[in-house]
Amino acid sequence: MTLTRTRPDAPAARPVDPRRLLRLARLDMTLLWRNRTALFGVVGLPAFFAVMLLVSDGNGHQSAGVPAVLYTGTGDLAFFLLPAVFMNLVSVFTARREELTLKRLRSGPLSDAEALGGSVLGATALYLAQSAVIVVIIATALDGGLPADPVLMLLGMLLGAVVFALLAMALSGVTPTVEMAQLTVIPVLLVSMLGSGFMFPLEEAPVGVRAVAQVMPLTPAVEIARTAYLGRDFTVDGDHGALGLVETWTACVPALLTLAAWIVVGAWLARRYFRWEPRRG
Amino acid sequence: MAKDKIVEVAGLHQRYGDFEAVRGISFEVREGELFALLGTNGAGKTTTMETVEGFRPASAGTVRVLGRDPHRERRAVRSHVGIMLQEGGLFPDLTVAETVDLWRDIVPGARPRDEVLEQVVLADRADVRARQLSGGQKRRLDLALAIVARPRVLFLDEPTTGMDPEARRTTWHTVRGLVADGTTVLLTTHYLEEAEQLADRLAIMHQGTVRVAGTVAEVLAGHGDRISFRIPPQAAVAELPRPHGAEPQVSAGGGGPVATYTLTGPPTGPGVQRALRELLDWADDRRLELAGLEARSASLEDVFLRVAGHPAVEEAHR
Ligand SMILES: Nc1ncnc2c1ncn2[C@@H]1O[C@H](COP(=O)(O)OP(=O)(O)OP(=O)(O)O)[C@@H](O)[C@H]1O
Ligand SMILES: [Mg+2]
Repeated sequence: MTLTRTRPDAPAARPVDPRRLLRLARLDMTLLWRNRTALFGVVGLPAFFAVMLLVSDGNGHQSAGVPAVLYTGTGDLAFFLLPAVFMNLVSVFTARREELTLKRLRSGPLSDAEALGGSVLGATALYLAQSAVIVVIIATALDGGLPADPVLMLLGMLLGAVVFALLAMALSGVTPTVEMAQLTVIPVLLVSMLGSGFMFPLEEAPVGVRAVAQVMPLTPAVEIARTAYLGRDFTVDGDHGALGLVETWTACVPALLTLAAWIVVGAWLARRYFRWEPRRG
Repeated sequence: MAKDKIVEVAGLHQRYGDFEAVRGISFEVREGELFALLGTNGAGKTTTMETVEGFRPASAGTVRVLGRDPHRERRAVRSHVGIMLQEGGLFPDLTVAETVDLWRDIVPGARPRDEVLEQVVLADRADVRARQLSGGQKRRLDLALAIVARPRVLFLDEPTTGMDPEARRTTWHTVRGLVADGTTVLLTTHYLEEAEQLADRLAIMHQGTVRVAGTVAEVLAGHGDRISFRIPPQAAVAELPRPHGAEPQVSAGGGGPVATYTLTGPPTGPGVQRALRELLDWADDRRLELAGLEARSASLEDVFLRVAGHPAVEEAHR
């Protein structure tokens, strides 16, 4: 007789089949389309921000030395991580845990990484699609040109997607029902809206506030997106000066490291709090 | 040589925090066999099933499926296994056809959708969303998902709960067909007839332990034959005869109190026939009519009720 004592929910590290991952991402899109409430949450907020850009265009406001619409537009590229990835996935994971579909998916030959990864992939694709719309708006309606460093921008966006997917896993674990998910995401949403500099520049904030804001998860994503798009130093402590290719990357190194640190923290939180099955008793 | 052991459970304990739901059970399921786990609510059947399915490691003891550890080697085991959980797991917004198609896309070697839907008699509901299915239809769709990949081993946790008698029979037919094709099945059920109809062997669990196990015949053996009748109004309970020492048990029945004799003892003992003769002579002498007279061998239900009525040994000592 052998004695085993393992964490019951420890996700086993397994290989991932891209074909299955795509299939599950497609499933998510189908289900999102059929769930109008969820669809509104995931698409409505970004649509509102996109329309705001168009409406505010030409009002002459400036933010940190650039037209406010360009400032906010490039910030949207990071901010959409919240509706499309974070809030979306908190609802998806909570709903599927409670309706036992996560457990059911796991009862088949899917690995844990596949069962969850399909949703992460779908959410990321949605985020990238929404961002693409913003890029088109910036480049055409707002006359802001195309991203100066699209590779860095995309890297920042993808790292941000990983961070917020992991945070969503963790938060879903302490969210009892899908309805409650509307509430549990609020603290992260507020911190991200006010303290990330995506819309309101952090330059004038007191040093202490800035220091805290800089280590929040959305801030580095905003810094990278804006700096890489505009080709000017828009990191929190940056001087907004024009940057060369290499300089753009060096300016963003601290932000990239902050995202990497959040991936480590997020992975730890996800392992700790994510639940495959409803809590009982 | 004995047939391959597909499922082996030895000294399995499973606990949730301080509560021990499964307290040291052992059984095995051989290739091509259907093994039924019966038991009271909360006996630990689902806990046992889910451990065998690899959802959680055993607290103590060993579990092997196809010779492997179903938890640590989950992926390797799962590709040969079909699972039907006790509860749910259907996407409410997918139609029946879409649900089956989803599974066909993620499992290897899937059968055609129509074939599977025919088999569970859901072909005419293919375009209905899962949320609109009745309870029994959901169960059938769940069964379809479990069998879509032609698994070598099937784990079915209460597969026919909520089905009407007709659907239940169809499901039995399906499961029998799968067993005939060589599938090994471990199922749980609260329908004793289901176990009688399908099981090669079975175990009855109560409070985390297996109380009785074996073939249906083995389980019934030693539980005696029964004779019962309604006690005639003219007769007092104390006057009832004791054929070969068997005591009558009196219970309330629809048409008045019912006396039941349980004739245990060695197979060479008195037997129903002689006890009956004694009873009939007794009734004739007194010109009494034994309404509802019935003689039968023990049923699984008798055994089950007996098991369920006995508290666990540890409990009795408290
Ligand atoms: N996740 C859990 N956390 C705590 N206790 C649990 C959990 N799952 C089951 N239990 C307890 O373990 C015991 C066995 O439960 P289990 O579901 O295995 O019973 P069962 O035999 O399948 O019952 P039923 O016939 O009602 O389905 C019960 O007392 C139950 O309350
Ligand atoms: Mg059960």
